[in-house]
Amino acid sequence: MAVDTEPSRTRPAGPHTDRRPRQNFETWSWFFMRVSGLVLIFLALLHFSITHILNDVAETDARFVAQRWDNPMWRVFDWALLALAMLHGLNGLRWIIDDYVRVPGKRAAVKAVLYTVTGALFAYGTFTIVSYSPA
Amino acid sequence: MSPSSTMYRGKSGQWAFVLHRITGFLVFFFLLLHIVDVSLITRPELYDEVHAVYGNVLLRLFEVGLLAALLFHSLNGLRIVLVDFFPEALKSERSVFAAVMFITTALTVVGGYIIMKPFFEGRF
Repeated sequence: MAVDTEPSRTRPAGPHTDRRPRQNFETWSWFFMRVSGLVLIFLALLHFSITHILNDVAETDARFVAQRWDNPMWRVFDWALLALAMLHGLNGLRWIIDDYVRVPGKRAAVKAVLYTVTGALFAYGTFTIVSYSPA
Repeated sequence: MSPSSTMYRGKSGQWAFVLHRITGFLVFFFLLLHIVDVSLITRPELYDEVHAVYGNVLLRLFEVGLLAALLFHSLNGLRIVLVDFFPEALKSERSVFAAVMFITTALTVVGGYIIMKPFFEGRF
């Protein structure tokens, strides 16, 4: 029996926990970067193609946005791109800060600025997409 | 001992890592700026005025740079996913990195030509 060889303080009892190491926040952060990255390749490159390749950037004026956001599916698309890109970028910058800002107090301060700015701009972007109605 | 003799000199993987950081950092800061410029849409006249700047030749060059960063980050990200999830699928790490650089360059040249075309035609 596993109980005899594996003390419960290192391996918690349960049907799926006896062979796998514990999944902590950083494991999920690593996994999230791969999954969100794959989705973002599709979302970001399609978005860039529409606004810079299929249309010239000079044509994507307020009227262009009004036509596009008339369809709620494009608002969902744009919001998904916003949300995933912000989270992916936020986590990437968190890793960069951990690597290069070594003093604990400074590191906490830089992260506080990052989280505040990212949170505020994410809320602002969400508000822009949700509240828009053509004049 | 000179600093260069103690400096870590990695292979293609180190360059991929450095470029992934730089391109990710740049795209993220463009995204923050982009949220602010799109928010002007509540005042369409102001939006059009600010948006007209993106048609300027310098900003078009910036957009070509953004495309290069997006393409590299996407393709290198795909390389990372392959390395992490299907390590046996990669025979040579170096040739995969070379492919990432080649496709990034090729697509940037094609996309860059389309973005700069109005300038070449003398419209901007």
